[in-house]
Parts: sequence; structure tokens; C-alpha cells
Amino acid sequence: MIGCYATGIFPRPKELVSITRDYERGRTGEAELDRAFSDATSRVVEAQSSAGFSYVTNGMLRWQDPLRPFTENLNGVKIGGLARWFNNNTFYRKPVVTGDLSWKKRADPKVADIEHLPENLYWKAILPAPYTLAQLSEDNLYKNKTELMFKYARLLRERIKDLTKQGFKYIQLSDPALVYKPRTAKMSREEVKTVGEALKLAVAGASARTCLQTFFGDFSQILPEVMGFPVDDLGVDLYETDVDRLKGYKFGKGVALGLVDSRSSLVEKVGELVAVAKEIIKSIEGNGASAFFVCPNCDLEFLPWERAFEKVRVVSRVAKRLREEFDG
Amino acid sequence: MGRLFPTQEVGSLAKPTWRVKGYRGERLTKEEIAEAIGWGRKLGIANLDTFAKLLRRKDSAKKRKTILEWSAKYAIRFLETAGLDIVFDGEQWRSEMYEHVARNIGGFEFLGQVKSFDFRYFNKAACTRKPVYLRPFYVEEFAFTRDNAKNEVKVPFTGPYTIVEWTFNEYYEKRLHGKVADFRQREFEAKRDFIFDLMAEVVRPEIGKLVDCGAKWIQIDEPAATTDQTDDEMKLFVESFNETVKGFNCAFSLHNCYSNYEVLAKYACELRNCCQLALEFANRDGKQLGTGNVRSGYKELASFEDNGFTGNYGVGVIDVHTDFVEPPQLVRDRVLHAAKIIDDPGRIYVSTDCGLRTRTWETSFQKLKNMVLGAELARMAF
Repeated sequence: MIGCYATGIFPRPKELVSITRDYERGRTGEAELDRAFSDATSRVVEAQSSAGFSYVTNGMLRWQDPLRPFTENLNGVKIGGLARWFNNNTFYRKPVVTGDLSWKKRADPKVADIEHLPENLYWKAILPAPYTLAQLSEDNLYKNKTELMFKYARLLRERIKDLTKQGFKYIQLSDPALVYKPRTAKMSREEVKTVGEALKLAVAGASARTCLQTFFGDFSQILPEVMGFPVDDLGVDLYETDVDRLKGYKFGKGVALGLVDSRSSLVEKVGELVAVAKEIIKSIEGNGASAFFVCPNCDLEFLPWERAFEKVRVVSRVAKRLREEFDG
Repeated sequence: MGRLFPTQEVGSLAKPTWRVKGYRGERLTKEEIAEAIGWGRKLGIANLDTFAKLLRRKDSAKKRKTILEWSAKYAIRFLETAGLDIVFDGEQWRSEMYEHVARNIGGFEFLGQVKSFDFRYFNKAACTRKPVYLRPFYVEEFAFTRDNAKNEVKVPFTGPYTIVEWTFNEYYEKRLHGKVADFRQREFEAKRDFIFDLMAEVVRPEIGKLVDCGAKWIQIDEPAATTDQTDDEMKLFVESFNETVKGFNCAFSLHNCYSNYEVLAKYACELRNCCQLALEFANRDGKQLGTGNVRSGYKELASFEDNGFTGNYGVGVIDVHTDFVEPPQLVRDRVLHAAKIIDDPGRIYVSTDCGLRTRTWETSFQKLKNMVLGAELARMAF
């Protein structure tokens, strides 16, 4: 089975950028800002549905950073200073853990905005994985990051339950920290296994397809332990991963192929991506991979809107070509 | 510099409303003109009547240019009146540190706004062909500052590593397409080619012109230095700095902020001809008085020493991202704490963390005055 979808936050279209700037400078009000977010969300959803995405997201345009819904809606977390988002010229607010964590009673409903998601399509929600949440937090309370990771996993479980109740059919947990290791030593096999246990806690009983999406680093570093993770699909950033090292592994799961580079403005040639994908699919399909999803390697918000939109079309066209080839 | 703890600016000041609207050709309100004249009086600027007339005049290219000069004059006097020893013009001629340069390089095309954080974005360009030096982009501004400043001048210059890091690298990645199979290797080689071409074609020619024009001290701004912390990338950054400054009869320093200093510290001693590292610490520090453990924001300063950096430090003692006005005593304690770590007070320049462009002129002025007073208090301890 060949599918396709987005894997993160979309860029804000030009008009929305302009209104958010006006809002920050006090030149426009809450209602105009809300309307602009709403209009832009419709555009982002339309872009995905007209591209034939298997699952559509709300684009997460309101998310100020990939952790913010947690930073803002959890008791026991303070919004900290700006920190660099991995090796990008983009910043997030560090969650500073100062008290026992729990969801606030009145969490912002706009975070999982379903207003613009069409009823006739499958919905996908994207959340940070427990390991990345713990690694990027400043912890002043728990014994260690492992304890914090399990705490986040429990909180995620509640959130995932809510999302599936709302009608989301696909839950992606984004875990860049798991593969981004430029300077420190490789994670031990035991550590990777512990990450899998936290993940199990987060997704247990979820009535939706689940995926652990890795990016900004080499997926092959966490092999083979990652094969045992309790998710339906595993996401690979093909611009950071030594693809040869994936070959020969028995996946037994779906694979999300991060074929389109969200951090480069060059629009990929469909034919070239199809050739790369075919090679990977052929090399691991025989080992039990159940499904393949064509997707961007990470959040498209590293690109201006117009370029991101072009890449959405590339994702769609590559998936179409692969379907013709493999799904008949 | 004859005395201990010279004070310096490290970046841009906010642009006053009359500068922004005036340069855009928009009409100014009476209040905005009155504010401009009020600051002029406070800063002891001459010929304010002529200036007021200019602000009321109809828009023209000549008026816009003259407004740039007035805003530079105001900013220079602003910094000097606050008491700083080393000044520039608050970068009033520049739209922004990246865009100003990118607009003046052939081969760069702006693609649109990309999020930096929250509701902040930057206009990101792509390099679509080999960079070409179109025209000088800092020289006129420097010459004006040189002629109008009474105090020592340091020229801020956006470094090539940062420009490349903040630009989509289309030309060089395309050029290597098919030649280097491994994507990560291709990306790195393309980046390296881009940096060195940009340096040779644009950056060094501009530095040469500044030096010919009398620049004695250029601060290379490289906020992107530790974006990618792998050994290869950090070595590339060091190489780009060293090649940028090589062979000029001029002092060079490096400004880097909001970065991983543990990483930068390991490579700082490899920077050649770098007389000063201007670093941000106040943002990481607490507000309580004292030296020693309470000054936790300055702990990474020791790493630079431990790793063998022997140059001077521009020690950030003013947080530019808050309206909290640091009392002189807090500035003093931060300076004295840094002096203890370095064990040589003569290597310390007292600085803001970064440019004050996000603060109002009122707040910036109070912050800078207290920085100067704090440096004076610190001197008294020696």
C-alpha cells in the first residue's frame, strides 16, 4: 500500500504572516487574527486534499513551535527562554518543569482545530514524542529525564485518547531528538529500548494508526531496537539517513519515507524521487513492510508558503507514480 | 584603550518612528515630529530646525537619504551621550543584518517569509547563481559614522558563515547534483563552496573597501556559528572566519549570541586575528547582586579560558530581551565576576548581550547609562 501525507507544521501563507505581525504590533485585534488563521487553515487543508493525501492535518498554523501546546497547556510547566530548534535558524520556547505535570482544565481547543478538516477524509494529528519532549525540557522536579519522559508519555496518552475520540485516524509522534546526535555518543541499546517502553505507554490502546517520525538525524542509528517499537509506522528522514544500512532489516511495519526535503528550497524532480523510493521499497518490502507513505522529511515550515505548496504537489505526484507501480 | 573595562555597543538600535515612516515616504504626525525633536534636544544635536523642516517636507529620494543620515547621527550621539567608549550608528542604514547584505549581492533571490519564532519571521533568500559583488553595502554608512563619531568606531559586519547558513543554497547544491552521491556530504561540500565564493567575491572586497576608508576595527557577526555543532561544521566556521579576516591591516572581533558556548569555546582558540569575543551572558544570568555562584549565567566564560582563548572578551552584562533596567550595581557585579574568572581585568570590555533593536530608545538609553555607571563602579574596585 502506498500513501502520502504531511509530517509537521506548515508555513504560514503571506497574508497570515502579515496579520500576525500586525497583531504583535497592536495594529489588529484578536478577531482578525483568528479569522486569518482560519482562512489559512482552509487553504492548507485544501492543498492536502487536492493533492490526494491519504490523511490530512490542520497544518498546525497556530502552533508557535512544535512543543508549545504542551508548554502552554500543562500545569507544572513554565514557558522558558528561546532555544534553537536543533540545527535550524528557528527557535522554540523551552518548557521549564517546576511542578508535577498535568493537563490544565481549560486547554486551548484551537491546538487540535478540527473545524476545517473535511468529514470525508481521514485526519492526522502530530504531537511531539515523549523522548523529544523530555530531552528539550529543563527539568527542575523529576529524578531524571527518563522519569520525565514517562510522565510525558502518560500525558500524551490522555491527549491521544481525546484526539481519537474527536475522529483522528492517524497519530504521528515526532521524535527528532532520538536520532539527532551530532556530538554526543550514540545511545545505548538499553536507552533506545526504554524510549520504546515510554512510547508503548503513550500509544497503548489508541484506536488509530500510529507512527514514530524521526528526522534531523540518521534513523539507522536506532536499529534494530526501533523495530520493536509499538507503532504501526516508522518515519525516516532520507536526507540524513544512510539508506544502505536500512537494507536487510525485517521491518514488519509501515515506513514513512521522508523523500522531500523541507529544508531545501530546491523542488525535487519527481522521477528522481520515484527511483530512490523504488529502490528502498524493493530492498525492504520483501522483509515484511506493510505500507509505505511518501512524505516530507520534516515540518514544511522551514520553507516559504509557495515553495512548501510546490513540495506538497511533488509528494502527491511521487505517491501516484509509486501506486501505479506497486499497487497496480 | 587606556582604561579598564571600556564600554561598547555590539549591534543595532531600534529605528525611531520618524526614521521608519520617513524612509517609507509616509507622513509623520505632529507628535512623531515632536518626539524626534525632543530626542534631538536630549542628545544635543545641532540644527534641529532644519531637521524639523525636513521631516515635514514631501517625500523624495533626497529626503529619504537625508533621513538615513539624521538617524545615524542621532544613534551615534545616543550611544556617545549614554557614555559608551566604542560606538557605531545603531545600524540605522540597514533594514536588518541579513536582508541588508542579501539585497546587495547578485545571485540572491528572496523567496519569502520563514518563521524564526512565534510571530517573528525573516525574509529568506536563495542563492541561485554564483554570488556577485554588486555595490558597497557598508562603506557609505561607515564613512558617515567615521566623520560624525567622536569616540572610537567598531563596524559590525554580518559574517559569511551566517549569511550562507540563513540562505537556501540552490546554486551549489544543484552544481554538485549527481557528482556526490551521499546527500549529507553533498550538502556540506555545497555549503563550503558557497561560503568560500561569497567570501572571495563579496565579503573580502567589502572589508577591503572599509579598511581603505579607514576602518580600524571590524566586528564579524556570526550568530549562526553553532547552528550545526558537528566537528566538520565547527571547523568550517573557524576556517571561514580565519580566511575572511586574513591579511587586512585592521582589528577583527567576533560576536556570537544565543548559542551553545560549550561548543564554541572548544574552537575559539583556533580563531586567528580575533582580538575579542563579544558574548551574551546577561540573558542567562539571575538579577541578584553578588559575585560567585549567584552569577550562574557566566559559567561558560570559564570554558573559553579553559580551552585556551587568549584574546579579550566583550562581556554581555545587559539583557536586550527584557525591559528590566539593570542597576549599576548588578552591572558592576557581573563585570567583577567575569574579571575573577578571567583573572585579568584588562581583557574585559563591557557590552550589551546583543543589539538593543527590540527595546525602545527610552529603555535602551537607561540600560546603556547604567552599563556605563556599572563599569565605573567596577573600575573603583581596582
